[in-house]
Amino acid sequence: MNKIVREAKLWLIAIPILLWTLLPIYHIFLFSISTKDSAFSGALWPAKPTLHNFAVVFRQDHFYLHHFWAQIWNSLWIAVAVGVLTLAVATCAAFAISRLKVKGGRVVMNAALFTYFIPAAFLAVPMYKAMGTYGLLNSRWSLVLAMVTLASPYAIWVLKQASDKLPWELDEAARIDGATPLQLFRLVYVPLMMPSLVAIGTYALILAWNEYLYAFLLLSHENTIPLAVGLGHFLASDDSPWELLMATALIYAAPPAAIYYAFRRYMVGGLTAGAVKT
Amino acid sequence: MATVAFSDVHKSFGATKVLHGISLDIANGEFMVLVGPSGCGKSTLLRMLAGLEEIGGGEISIDGRVVNDVDSKDRDIAMVFQSYALYPHMTVRENMGFSLKLRKDKQRLIDERVANAARILNLEPYLERFPRELSGGQRQRVAMGRAIVRDPKVFLFDEPLSNLDAKLRVAMRAEIKALHQRLKTTTVYVTHDQIEAMTMADRIAVMNEGRIEQLGEPLELYDHPVNLFVAQFIGSPAMNIFDGVVRAGAVEALGARLPAAVLRAGGTDGQKVKYGVRPEHLELASAGIAAEVVLVEPMGAETEILAKAGDTRLTLMTRGRSIAGPGDRIFLAPQAGYIHLFDAASGLRIA
Amino acid sequence: MAAVDIAVSGGARGGNRALTPISPKKRRSIWQTWGVLMIAPYVLVFCVFVLYPVTYGLWLARHPQSYITLFEDPVFFRTVVNTVVFLLVAVNVKFLLALFLSGFFVHERRWIRWLSVIFIIPWAVPAIPTIFSIRFMLNPEWGIVNSLIFRFTGLDGPNWLNNPTLGLSMAMLVHIWKALPFWTLILMAGRLAIPREQYEAASVDGATSWQKFKYVTWPSIRTLYLTSTLLSMIWTLGDFNSVYLLTGGGPADLTHVLATLGIRYIRLDQVDQAMATIVVALPFVLPLVYFMMKRLSVDE
Repeated sequence: MNKIVREAKLWLIAIPILLWTLLPIYHIFLFSISTKDSAFSGALWPAKPTLHNFAVVFRQDHFYLHHFWAQIWNSLWIAVAVGVLTLAVATCAAFAISRLKVKGGRVVMNAALFTYFIPAAFLAVPMYKAMGTYGLLNSRWSLVLAMVTLASPYAIWVLKQASDKLPWELDEAARIDGATPLQLFRLVYVPLMMPSLVAIGTYALILAWNEYLYAFLLLSHENTIPLAVGLGHFLASDDSPWELLMATALIYAAPPAAIYYAFRRYMVGGLTAGAVKT
Repeated sequence: MATVAFSDVHKSFGATKVLHGISLDIANGEFMVLVGPSGCGKSTLLRMLAGLEEIGGGEISIDGRVVNDVDSKDRDIAMVFQSYALYPHMTVRENMGFSLKLRKDKQRLIDERVANAARILNLEPYLERFPRELSGGQRQRVAMGRAIVRDPKVFLFDEPLSNLDAKLRVAMRAEIKALHQRLKTTTVYVTHDQIEAMTMADRIAVMNEGRIEQLGEPLELYDHPVNLFVAQFIGSPAMNIFDGVVRAGAVEALGARLPAAVLRAGGTDGQKVKYGVRPEHLELASAGIAAEVVLVEPMGAETEILAKAGDTRLTLMTRGRSIAGPGDRIFLAPQAGYIHLFDAASGLRIA
Repeated sequence: MAAVDIAVSGGARGGNRALTPISPKKRRSIWQTWGVLMIAPYVLVFCVFVLYPVTYGLWLARHPQSYITLFEDPVFFRTVVNTVVFLLVAVNVKFLLALFLSGFFVHERRWIRWLSVIFIIPWAVPAIPTIFSIRFMLNPEWGIVNSLIFRFTGLDGPNWLNNPTLGLSMAMLVHIWKALPFWTLILMAGRLAIPREQYEAASVDGATSWQKFKYVTWPSIRTLYLTSTLLSMIWTLGDFNSVYLLTGGGPADLTHVLATLGIRYIRLDQVDQAMATIVVALPFVLPLVYFMMKRLSVDE
């Protein structure tokens, strides 16, 4: 009897969680398959579900959607660039700090932690001015470099934690075997860090794809903006086609969800690794 | 094969001096064991030979060539670590061939050397496995295989058997010794286990607090320890040591007059000494030290008897079975010729 | 001497290897050189994109006039109040929920594990789709929430986003919705680090669920909970999306928080003001950041 009561209690908690989590998501989906009228009728399921909205989006058939494909391409390009660059920068830095025990590694690690703790929104204003000085405003590189700056600290921290777990004797054995620093990095370190590298690459990629504030501060030209900013433009008028917005939003939200689902085992392990130390 | 020479080697970690002027010559093809308690400096000495630690003072030479400033990979040595240090993401074959691959040797040569080592160590069925799929003993053999493949001048072993269970340790001891007899490579072996030292070494260097207490062949150390430390470190169960005073050519200890070996230089009347006798050289007698049996441990072929003479505990080893039982009052006498006398103040051997 | 002769003649086996002795300084420096080379990219990124911008920003915030203007702006005072309320309420509610839910999600059931994968979605997906979705749900005329309220009670639901109090509350709700999964995960990891034997010993000793929490769980995760709360406060200060995408700071700039206020000044081309807004928050942020760094700092 006790067992059933316990299970019932768990279910009692689970149902609100499910509703709370999925309601806004379902709502996006609901709007995206509704016609303009049924969307505004407040119905829970459209009278005539349709895929017409998606067709409009793909055909770039509306004022706000004229550059849809360019924008989604920008989002992709920026996300991948950030993922790759963050991985490169962080892997090398973590190797230098953790295995090569470079002088000043501790200072750099602390500087990185500082950047990680400061709220990103605070850094946005100075970053905006600095990018102006560098002449990078409106180039996709400004967003890429800004995101790399924001993603690297956490990446280095996680990779350093993971790297510290590797036994020091491996490096000694490799040195005796005749390895140069580069060989140690290439043939021993990187293969052993693979799961963490996957987690970090995915993290940086998703971070960049999801970013809004920096994107809309640093990029403004219709052709350079990523999809996030394009979506923001819909709010310019009160009369925008919300159902089209939601259809586009669904397309925009799908990749991170899918990637997260595919790599979830790496993500949870890799990202909470640093946490429990606190 | 090569000679190894340590010449007045010093080392400090910060303010702590860990090695005080070690000098040691290892002959070509010799199996030298460095043994001592934790913190005695034996591992540090080995790691300096390997090039993993900086040398604080003095010289280390391999084959007559001073290697103080030579990089590990150019010293032509191979090392087997306590924790094996196998690369987890490489197969056994790749682990063993790694050093050759780094040198960019021809694949053919690598395969040949690896196959050879695998044959010697019975690793052929495991070549494509990963370290995590192997048992402790197998991993240890892969670590040795990795060392053999390099065909180095010197093998270095850093407490390789410490992580294995007792039974496996006995088996691996024999394998390492057999390997040495086959390859005849100069070997420097570090351990804290004196049994390993006794069974495997050509010569043993007993170390304590950064100094070599005694250097010699195993049985020489066993039969003629030069000081108290070596006497108590070598041999299991440990030598019985108790206080005594020299009087008229004999030693008064534990309420009895005990014979003393020829008193060499320094055996003066009234001198306080430490009287040493190994358990197997202490016998039940009709007269001698009065003691009471505390515990009898029959081990089948031998019997270990723990006795108390006053506050002193004594251990006795007799062949075969014993009729003694707990609480029995007995007399113990040392066998002539197997007595060790040490000066109580300096710990040095008198006779 | 023989030793010298052998050294000079090489005496090496495998003659394809050069046996040039490398001095300790040079040997050490090969590894140190690579260390410097590999850490350089990040150092460069840091100097160009953090150090310079921050220094430049602080320099821009040097005019006392910016602060006077700031304090005289009626919006500012309201913003500070909003921010404080937001921090205190949102963060603590979020963490209490996270504490409770982390206890739920550690139960070992297959369906709970599936639920936890779904539960992460709010955190993983971008803010715009989801916050806009909630925004539309809350639309007073045609939003789903008010439609349902009307259907069940016949009454008109409130104007969620045009009422400053409700608007801010909804922004907090959005923030919690988005951030809760991450912190639940962190607290879960903390709970999972507690050895099962401690709970088993407590069971044998006759402890109730509440007692198990009080005497086994809480002492172990207390530090994690507090540290995470602090970190979350720092980050929540920077939560731009929740307010901006939901209410835009309105109505009449009444739901602004510091993060959105700064950006509002940028849009108005008052950069000095924007920087001043941020500097004003620093006396609160910096001690917290310092504290966090001490906790996590790299001990050699």
